[in-house]
Amino acid sequence: MIGFVIVSHSEPLAHAAVDLAMQMVHDEAPPVRVASGADGGFGTDAAAIADAVDALADSDGVVIITDLGSAVISSELALELRTSTVPVRISDGPFVEGITAGMVRAATGGSLDDVAHEAAAALAAKRPQGSPASPGAPTSDVLAPDGASTPDASIDAVLRNPMGLHSRPASLVVKAAGGFDADVAIADVTTGAGPASAASLIGLLTLGASEGDIVRITATGAEAAAAVDAIRRLVDDGFGELAAASA
Amino acid sequence: MTLGVLERWVRDSAARLDAEAERLTALDSAIGDADHGTNMHRGFTAIVAKLDAAQPQTLAEFFKAVGMTLVSKVGGASGSLYGTLFLDMGKNAPDGTSMSAAEWAHALSAGVAAVVARGHAQPGDKTMIDAFGPALEALDSALAAGATLAEAAAAAATAAERGSADTEPLVARKGRASYLGERSVGHIDPGSASTALLLRAFADALAGEAT
Repeated sequence: MIGFVIVSHSEPLAHAAVDLAMQMVHDEAPPVRVASGADGGFGTDAAAIADAVDALADSDGVVIITDLGSAVISSELALELRTSTVPVRISDGPFVEGITAGMVRAATGGSLDDVAHEAAAALAAKRPQGSPASPGAPTSDVLAPDGASTPDASIDAVLRNPMGLHSRPASLVVKAAGGFDADVAIADVTTGAGPASAASLIGLLTLGASEGDIVRITATGAEAAAAVDAIRRLVDDGFGELAAASA
Repeated sequence: MTLGVLERWVRDSAARLDAEAERLTALDSAIGDADHGTNMHRGFTAIVAKLDAAQPQTLAEFFKAVGMTLVSKVGGASGSLYGTLFLDMGKNAPDGTSMSAAEWAHALSAGVAAVVARGHAQPGDKTMIDAFGPALEALDSALAAGATLAEAAAAAATAAERGSADTEPLVARKGRASYLGERSVGHIDPGSASTALLLRAFADALAGEAT
């Protein structure tokens, strides 16, 4: 699994951000090390970051997520100071969103490229629907609407839970889709948004799908039918939020 | 120049940072997070403790010990940047316990080049580079004109002090101060001020040896 080093000027900030992200992780959690503060105060410590990376030497790769500017400088220096050879990416994604999106992707078995991309693209979830991404931002999470091939399975379902496809339901979809040998995508038929890959929490959030929207779940691959069915059941069940909403 | 001079330099720097911590922090409170003096003082105090505990036997050991202590103890960009300076000076220092003026100039310019590579600062961005840049030029031209290392180091310190003073009207384009934009105008960059302090301490350590 991919591990994370969280680099923050503030240790409480780093731990709180990790705790927040863990709300979205429903599987085995990825390994996380916090490297924060310098000698007890606010700051960053390249030697501590190097130690944190080395502590994750057994993982399949490490994504470093940073807060303010000097955290990047210290992380770059740490890559020269470390003794392990585990592949490392320093993410330029936003701190809270990047940790959340990256950890969800890692928990569902994402590769280093997948997780780094997910963390870097995490700002997209904050942008108003339809507004252009910043130049150079990855857009591949929203798949071309006219795919080269027709999906092996497709079904439409209505979002029933009041909050729609927000982060918790989206993380459940990512987890469910990751359990099948299939490429799953979801589009919002009502608004025309998407399709977005169900492997990408951020991609799903950018759909902005809300209560009452019809979503189209499509899948390609050996277990396409089972994958579509599993996600349709999540949608029909209101992602477990209906009972809570009426209680 | 011997290892002993270098050691005296960093010990004297620690004492000066003790005296000047408040001034540096005041500069930093105007345009930063009000901790530069405290941070630098903490870092150099830790260096003195490290030198007291185990005396470096070679130039390489000295620069590495100083660099790693700054990385771990100073925090923030200045810790990584000053740490990078000393670590890369060590990589570009000769073997043994003494270095010539030309070897010092080479090591210092290699260290500053590493700081530039790490921090991506250009001259005029209101950073320590605005003190280091003029200092390197003054050092090189003085040595080329036949000055001793002590004379050249004094010229470099003066150039660094002028470069630091000249950051006052600049708009910060790097680090935390860059968030302030135009509001950073009218304040001296604290990083350039600590650079000037360190280079003056170096010049004085050499002058002390010459007399």
